[in-house]
Amino acid sequence: MVLPPNVSEADFNAALNEFRSAVGPTWVFSSDEDVALYRDSYSINWGEPEERVASAAVAPAKVEEVQQVVRVANRYRIPLYPISTGRNLTYGGSAPNMRGSVVVDLKRMNRILEVDEKRAFALVEPGVSYFDLYHYIRERNLKLMLDVPDPGWGSPMGNSLDHGAGYTMAAFRDHFSSHCGMEVVTPDGDLIRTGMGAVPNSDSWQDFHYGAGPNVDGLFAQSNFGIVTKMGFWLMPMPEAFLSGTVTVPRHQDLDPLVYEVSYLEDLGLTGMPQYGSPVGQAAFGPGAAAMASLMQNGWPSAEAIENFVTAQRRPAWSVQLYFYGPEETVRATWQAAKRRIGKAIGGASFQDGEFMTLPIPKEKEPTQSDKPRLGIPALEVFNMVARNARNASDPPDGHADLFVTIPRKASALFESARVLYETYKELGLPAQGNPFPTPFTYYSRCFWTGTTVPTWRDPAKNARSRALFEKVMNRCAEHGWVGYRTSPAFQDLLISKYSFNNNSLLRFQEKLKDSIDPNGIISPGRYGIWPANMRKKRA
Amino acid sequence: MRQILLLLLAVEFGNYLLAQTPSETNGKAVFDKWCAPCHGAVAPKNVMFGTGALAGTSALAVKYKGKLPAVLEERTDLTPVMIKSVVRHGLFGMPITRKTEISDAELEDVVAYLTRSRKK
Repeated sequence: MVLPPNVSEADFNAALNEFRSAVGPTWVFSSDEDVALYRDSYSINWGEPEERVASAAVAPAKVEEVQQVVRVANRYRIPLYPISTGRNLTYGGSAPNMRGSVVVDLKRMNRILEVDEKRAFALVEPGVSYFDLYHYIRERNLKLMLDVPDPGWGSPMGNSLDHGAGYTMAAFRDHFSSHCGMEVVTPDGDLIRTGMGAVPNSDSWQDFHYGAGPNVDGLFAQSNFGIVTKMGFWLMPMPEAFLSGTVTVPRHQDLDPLVYEVSYLEDLGLTGMPQYGSPVGQAAFGPGAAAMASLMQNGWPSAEAIENFVTAQRRPAWSVQLYFYGPEETVRATWQAAKRRIGKAIGGASFQDGEFMTLPIPKEKEPTQSDKPRLGIPALEVFNMVARNARNASDPPDGHADLFVTIPRKASALFESARVLYETYKELGLPAQGNPFPTPFTYYSRCFWTGTTVPTWRDPAKNARSRALFEKVMNRCAEHGWVGYRTSPAFQDLLISKYSFNNNSLLRFQEKLKDSIDPNGIISPGRYGIWPANMRKKRA
Repeated sequence: MRQILLLLLAVEFGNYLLAQTPSETNGKAVFDKWCAPCHGAVAPKNVMFGTGALAGTSALAVKYKGKLPAVLEERTDLTPVMIKSVVRHGLFGMPITRKTEISDAELEDVVAYLTRSRKK
């Protein structure tokens, strides 16, 4: 049995009894067997004293029960850790930030409260998954498209509160930015609604996100200032058509103008998330493996050597897939305009028309539809990347930890970060990682993300190596100003320490808020580096 | 009056027994919702993953190399203990499933569905 820090067994048992009164005895989980279900399946500390395991879990079904749970927690100083669907895998899953916390499992709060087709919004509770919301919309034949992250079992609320992202137009794939209005149980058990939700007789809660006065919604994302119990989201009207097209450019140096041209389309709202690729880099996983090994045999190659390599390989250096959503006339015209602009800017650019389809696709075609998230269809196919496959057949990992850092949206930054990653792996004596053909993630349209994925195991020795690698990469990238946007609890203190301008003034400001809003420190201690005063480490 | 009461009691008891009996039909519904997105039979052709785009099905294909079906619903060797253990403990990339997601009763239904061929 694990107890919360500084809480006696008698007080803990008394609190559990009051939780049972609040939510019903069935929905308080305190046996070792039941509490183990809240372990983070992808923990990088699995089975070690540092593993962040819960002391118990409580699963309220309505907001009044959440308020009661919070009041009980205040009385007994019990740390709580709310989860929505608990599927934030690689970022902590359903396990708490701090060992001994009581998980507040909001999966039972799973009502889709409203979907307005004409005003294009949804209002949902925490336990609603992307699958749930998708099926609700589809069954009613509403002309709305979701923007979904790769794993569809997560919740719109939880994903947006951890700054998750999807694939369609920039206005929708930044999931926190596309929310409108939230309801929050504050650490003292009070209930607030943000934006127009604070106006008792308003019918515009999901129409206008600011209301008046300071906008506090951001305080409830990646933080510990309350438990969000309702959240609104703007949805994309179902486009009449979808069209994709692929651009390839011949030379390594062509990435710079290609990024500019693609960003031009993105910033005008003309394309969904562009998917960069490198035919030369991709060939290194197959027929071009030996040639790539030869290129890299003496370390990071010169620009001239890279360009000569591309020429000899007779493959384009770069590709980018563009995705257009809208009426057929406009998607075809936009693709034509993209071809004209890029063809004029980059000599030797070539273009391949991709898939055209009218939307929504027929229900019977869904199972075989590739790249579902591009069409707002939730799926779990991304897990193929980390499940047992041909490359890891004899020793598949148990999970993974993602390390993505934000870099400027330009080719030179991408090349430099690839070189730093390559050298970091080399310093650690690990197999070569990367080459001069990196491709960026463009979930957030105004920046690039790049990074690496580290395997996690149910084996402490292997996890120790993964942690060392993860920390080394994070520290090395931070030396260049490349820092992550999201990480698992095991690395949140380290991540937040990189946001250190003016002697960590941002974190110190957040700590002042924490002390004022949650003086007993009961909500998610340590979430993204924000600790209650009595647990705060002394900074040098 | 007494006979009506007895009849009602009998109907209630029948309903109770039915409620306690794992349901293959509900088991399939739970499987379709929670398991099929990774362990289904129909896989899309995917740009990144080729034709084996369902993580669970393709992982089992790699593991068993044809000695056992990769599609769980085609297996005849699955046991209740095995199914419950994997659902509640996870296995490799497959995470733990909590009781607020699949209740113990629903898990019994899934077991009934996936072991249906063993009873025939």
